[in-house]
Amino acid sequence: MTAHRIAVVGDVTSVAGFRPLGFTVFPIERAEDAREVWPDVLRGDFGVVFVTEPVYAAIFDLVAETADEPIPAVTVIPAAGSAGGVGAAKLDRAIERALGTSVPQREEEE
Amino acid sequence: MPQIRVNPNRMELLRLRKRGATARRGHKLLKDKLDELMKEFQARISDNRRLRRDVERELQGAFGLFALARAEAGSGALASALMSGEALPLLDVAQQNLMSVRVPVFSLGELPEPGGYSLATTPAVLDTALTRLAAVAPRMIELAEREKAIELLAAEIERTRRRVNALEYVLIPTIDATVRDITMKLDEAERSNLTRLMKVKDMIAQQEAAEGR
Repeated sequence: MTAHRIAVVGDVTSVAGFRPLGFTVFPIERAEDAREVWPDVLRGDFGVVFVTEPVYAAIFDLVAETADEPIPAVTVIPAAGSAGGVGAAKLDRAIERALGTSVPQREEEE
Repeated sequence: MPQIRVNPNRMELLRLRKRGATARRGHKLLKDKLDELMKEFQARISDNRRLRRDVERELQGAFGLFALARAEAGSGALASALMSGEALPLLDVAQQNLMSVRVPVFSLGELPEPGGYSLATTPAVLDTALTRLAAVAPRMIELAEREKAIELLAAEIERTRRRVNALEYVLIPTIDATVRDITMKLDEAERSNLTRLMKVKDMIAQQEAAEGR
């Protein structure tokens, strides 16, 4: 058991609310700027790093480098007003990697 | 099938047979591991979709409230209000060994009570927004934990599958082919030895018959 902090990387509107909750926020203006703060994020010894969808789209190659380590767990969250679906796509890629093919998922009943 | 280049003798044959047996045992073990990993994996992905959808919806709701708060208070006031609070080590990280895959187990500590901003200059909806966000935070952590486990399992499954396939389709057939080849060569040598002996025996018999005459 070790104590770690939690990071949030994204545009100011999406991440500002996490600061009062004790998360470490990395506010950035453009999604591409995430590339510059990412080394700091990795150095920060975070247990979980939440990235917004535009940020993930911009730096998914950097995120992929952490895929085989237990921490940090990089998780995609929607940004304020983003379309969604990026996090699910990331997961689908993992499934594809495991099964060798993407399995058409049945829509779950509401 | 390509073969291993070895001398076709009995010693190599025995060695190869032993190697083949080991490879088969390893293949079976790895295949069992793969099956078990798959089971674990399937169990995890089904729940995850629903959790992700719920978390995304709740986050969007909270973001909507923040947008509302910003509209009421102005972005400057809101930004300064949200400057309060500091980064805390909130997360306890343990590790669980799942089929020799190390997956993290997160447990979220108590979130600090949002506050430290002036209630006079910020709209009430900001409080609601922060409460909503605090409510969804534990589920976000749960989502992170599950997705990480799924990703790590996926990587391990891929690795194991490669090993299984390499054993099944390359190493074991190669060894089998080589064993068959050596057996044939040894049999051939045996046969040629036998005919030579028979021939020699015939020649000796002929010689003795000629001398005896």
